[in-house]
Amino acid sequence: MTTPPPASRPDPEAPPPFLGTWPRVYLAVVASQVVFVLALFGFARACS
Amino acid sequence: MTFIDWAVLVVTTLFIVLWGIWKHRSARTAAGYLKGDQSLNWPTIGLSVMATQASAITFLSVPGQAYEDGLRFVQFYFGLPIAMVVIAAVFIPIYYRLKVFTAYEYLEGRFDVRVRLFAALLFLISRGLAAGITIYAPAILLSSILGWSLELTCLVIGAVVVLYTVVGGSKAVSQTQRQQMTIILLGLIAAGIAAALALPDEVSLGDAVEVAGALGRMNPVDASFALSDRYNLWSGIGGGFFLALAYFGTDQSQVGRYLGGRSVAESRLGLLFNGVLKIPMQTGILFLGVLVFTVYIFSAPPVFWNGPTLERARAAAPAAIAKVEADWNQAVAAREAAARELIRVSNDEVAADGYDQAATTLRDAQAHMNAVRKDAKAEIKAAVPTAELEDRDYIFLDCALAHLPKGLLGLLIAVILAAAMSSIASELQALGTTSTIDFHRRLSKKPIDDQKTVRISMAYTIVWGAFAIGFATFASLLDNLIQAVNILGSLFYGTVLGLFLTAFFLKKVTATPALLAAILAETLVVTLFFATSIGFLWFNVIGCGAVCGLALLFQAFIPAARPPVARGPASP
Repeated sequence: MTTPPPASRPDPEAPPPFLGTWPRVYLAVVASQVVFVLALFGFARACS
Repeated sequence: MTFIDWAVLVVTTLFIVLWGIWKHRSARTAAGYLKGDQSLNWPTIGLSVMATQASAITFLSVPGQAYEDGLRFVQFYFGLPIAMVVIAAVFIPIYYRLKVFTAYEYLEGRFDVRVRLFAALLFLISRGLAAGITIYAPAILLSSILGWSLELTCLVIGAVVVLYTVVGGSKAVSQTQRQQMTIILLGLIAAGIAAALALPDEVSLGDAVEVAGALGRMNPVDASFALSDRYNLWSGIGGGFFLALAYFGTDQSQVGRYLGGRSVAESRLGLLFNGVLKIPMQTGILFLGVLVFTVYIFSAPPVFWNGPTLERARAAAPAAIAKVEADWNQAVAAREAAARELIRVSNDEVAADGYDQAATTLRDAQAHMNAVRKDAKAEIKAAVPTAELEDRDYIFLDCALAHLPKGLLGLLIAVILAAAMSSIASELQALGTTSTIDFHRRLSKKPIDDQKTVRISMAYTIVWGAFAIGFATFASLLDNLIQAVNILGSLFYGTVLGLFLTAFFLKKVTATPALLAAILAETLVVTLFFATSIGFLWFNVIGCGAVCGLALLFQAFIPAARPPVARGPASP
């Protein structure tokens, strides 16, 4: 019987991630819209 | 309409309605009928939320809005993705934890029954009236195609929706919306391609966009600030955020959609799906309106878009109308010539220096057309004093009838009907649920069992359907329909949202201060609406801010107020 190498276990001393899963999803949603609006603005400026 | 158009329209519409009725005819528990047994996955929730908001008004009115005003209406949606994130993070976990049927149930737990009933009443008033407008929009389309009266058309559309909403309940509404939204997206893509193909052979899509840009239609972002301006960056992010937060977070027609989700995660993903797709989708619909505008630069538009009214004016004052139509035809020809010159100069490197001059000439030609159209409207009003002069909602319809190929017109009408039915169904179902759960069952002295709750909800849905059909017959008196719906919502949403935000975040505030603040805030908003020219989106901010501020103020002066039940937002 073998035990997993220590590196594959979660490190209890490691700092928590900066953002959890849902906050990352929320950030991605808002960021995608900012990028879309900026691209739309740029396209419209180029056409006017 | 050709036989193929009729076949596409009838088969598509009947399939969606009958499928919805047959598939969900057996939901007879209150949870099954009102919340769809909480079994929906996120794509169904996402499409259902999108279909509820995207009514027939979206497809009739928004292209007309873009025709006259360009892309700037898209700013109205800029606050929506942020609102979706806030609702996903804060509102949804609370609704799930308390296992509520309606959003307003939460307010009783946090405050008391008076606050719950006040918020539910504001919802019933605003949504009941809006449902009438939602029925009226597709009735314009069908009545002009079928030659039926508007009243009969409203009755037929309303009756079909009431039938499948009453028989199938929440799950039928959500599931049919998935099919309806698929048809809507396909139809929009087809309409965009058809509009691009309707341009003359020598005018490319790029040329059309260039002409639209020169005439100020490519204007998606306006960073100038003015309180009286309805659509700019600041009103969109600020007012639009509060409107979206109130609509998606507290309006039962939307809350009911995601409360049917299998889990918190499914509901969140369904809402975030809308947060990602809403702005691109609205941009696409507005761009369709801009394309229609350019199509009519190269094919003569009528001086007035409401054909039957124009005919009546011609009959009543033939000489006056003939004169303005002759002026109009000259102005149209001058604008087309100016547009072709702009395209020629733009594509000719040698003549590029003349671009500014050509653009100025084109803008002058457009201004002259606008002046002639204003005169024409005055002549129409003089000839037919009862005529409604707001005709933007007819523009897209006129273009579709004139330019769409066989089969596609039937598909487009099916799209508009599908959009109408999906919104009306959600609204009627929410009105029936709120009347049943927040008023009838809550105020009944005897306990009401599950089966009776379902029957009562069916009865209320029918009553609200009849009310909405009745109100629809008055909708022709309103301004542009999409604005009418949003203005109506903005008069009430700020107050309701203020109550929810006070409940979530101002934990010291008790029931009486909250109720007094809500009543005063609603009075303030309605007074400002009639007494000032503030852009309607700001009423969402004013109403919400007034409730929160006044509630805190009153709380400080009502020492005898009971401490509230401690229920705050759950962690996301």
